[in-house]
Amino acid sequence: MSGEKISVGFLGLGIMGEACARNLLKSGLFSAVHVWNRSPDKASALVSEGALLGSSPADVVSKCSITFAMLGDPDAALQVVFGENGVLQAISAGKGYIDMSTVDEQTSQRIHAAITSKGGRFLEAPVSGSKKPAIDGQLIILAAGDESLYKEAEPAFTKMGKKWMHLGETGAGARMKLVVNMAMGTMLNALSEAMALSDKAGLKQQDVLDVMGIGALASPLVAMKGPAMMSKNYAPAFPLKHQQKDMRLALALGDQLGQSLPVAAAANEQFKVARARGHGDEDIAAVYEATKP
Amino acid sequence: MMTQRTQTSSCTLRYKQRFVTSCRPLVTLSSAAPGKTTLGFVGMGILGVPMTLNLLKAGYEVVVYNRNIQKTDPVVAAGAQVATTPRECAQRAQYIFATLSDPQAAISVANGPDGIASGISAGKGYIDISTVDAETSNIIATAIKSTGASFLEAPVSGSKAPAEQGKLIFLTAGDEELFKAVEGPLDVMGKAKYYLGGVGSGANMKLVVNMLNGSMMAALAEAMALADKSGLSQADLLEVLSLGAMANPMFALKGPAVVERSYPPAFPLKHQQKDLRLALALGDSLGQPLPVAAAANEAYKMAKAKGQANSDMAAVYEATQH
Repeated sequence: MSGEKISVGFLGLGIMGEACARNLLKSGLFSAVHVWNRSPDKASALVSEGALLGSSPADVVSKCSITFAMLGDPDAALQVVFGENGVLQAISAGKGYIDMSTVDEQTSQRIHAAITSKGGRFLEAPVSGSKKPAIDGQLIILAAGDESLYKEAEPAFTKMGKKWMHLGETGAGARMKLVVNMAMGTMLNALSEAMALSDKAGLKQQDVLDVMGIGALASPLVAMKGPAMMSKNYAPAFPLKHQQKDMRLALALGDQLGQSLPVAAAANEQFKVARARGHGDEDIAAVYEATKP
Repeated sequence: MMTQRTQTSSCTLRYKQRFVTSCRPLVTLSSAAPGKTTLGFVGMGILGVPMTLNLLKAGYEVVVYNRNIQKTDPVVAAGAQVATTPRECAQRAQYIFATLSDPQAAISVANGPDGIASGISAGKGYIDISTVDAETSNIIATAIKSTGASFLEAPVSGSKAPAEQGKLIFLTAGDEELFKAVEGPLDVMGKAKYYLGGVGSGANMKLVVNMLNGSMMAALAEAMALADKSGLSQADLLEVLSLGAMANPMFALKGPAVVERSYPPAFPLKHQQKDLRLALALGDSLGQPLPVAAAANEAYKMAKAKGQANSDMAAVYEATQH
């Protein structure tokens, strides 16, 4: 068993990326953790904790065996790979690139094709879970793609997640993430409508949450977002605009496959209403505002 | 756990209501206890049978009524007696419970010929566990209370298995004296009971909870359909859901049924759709748009049209299949 530590890279230090990179850094499993973010000031905390700041994605990839990425949307994910001084400039045989961003399948396949054409190995690995699970290393990692890279990345996954699964060929992870987030978006709207109706009917919303909390519908989602809706506390754990992006992508996948999804479509409309009212950067719980006139 | 809502008199209302309960002096109702109190139970269905069996096991005398007498066999075998009409049930028992399938049946049993109202009297109580709209509940309440008897609406959250295990959640409203008097039987049948105020509050709470239930199941059904269509394993999806923020007992129970496409009824789909219909009507009357619940209701209607009315509500999955 090789005792050699490898160096790993992390591109994208937003809400999720910073928390994940920190867990890799704290683990002591790697010889170095190289980080990069489009606005470098986001990296200062990690650098003070021992991370090494790269000048570009290519710079990071050139110094690492495996490079992780966590960007906010498909455009950013593509830019990091294909842009100037991007990942593609430095990827080479044996190097691994693991994209943990939530993107549509086409974006993931484009990245896969580009990485492998240069001899690199690619794993898509979107996650389920938001800020707190990321900080606590309790994410669910939905991986697909290169199996050898998946195995090599497992030590890193143990530090970032409570569960990791290999779901098949590239594309399967992206699809699973969209399906899961579509379910969440619809469920959140179901909760939102229940809160709105109970309020209008003169019931105490706390009573409603208490009843839900002990019954068959009790879930962490209801326990977290119900009180947030009740007190209108929308500090972002997961920005509403990203959730709506995921619903849009899931509906597009359904469209592509000929799967009608009327309830998710109705939920998506409510997210659009909330965005139009200026709640895009707030937490997904702010979709509750769409139930008001 | 009990939430107490005190009414200052039987004539005052704390929640928005369209009807006033009749102002009668309150009769002191004796606390129900095994060996002391005869209970009645109308409606030997998916919930009524296990609830009655639990009451019998706890040592209560129970007189039952069901339209189709054959459905009383399992409880008779456990010691229940049979009445030939709801009226007779109300004459022979002090506190009568009922689990009927819809507002029409509930009104018929309570107010119809040889109904509960024709046999009940002061010192007795009628506890309607049926899930109905607030207007129906008020109609029943008025008829019952005009006889001098007390009334409690008491819809439950929970279906077949919780009923069998005595783990239902009662969402009651109406006469608080009656709520207190039947605490014993409620604790035998359930794990929690709430007193929510004037008649209508329990009905509305139940509709809110069941609307959430229906929409959540529709969300799961669409996710399972998209997973399948996109080449993912539905079992993998259920595992991912079970590990994250969305994990809930209902998904754990219904998910495998969808994978198998086998839907033995714990909660018949037609009743879930009825509840969504009532919840949407409530929203309509209060000026609350409910677009996601409305879309879910359409999915249940589609599943009914595909012959799934008597299957478990998980069969809403069939609406996703074209």
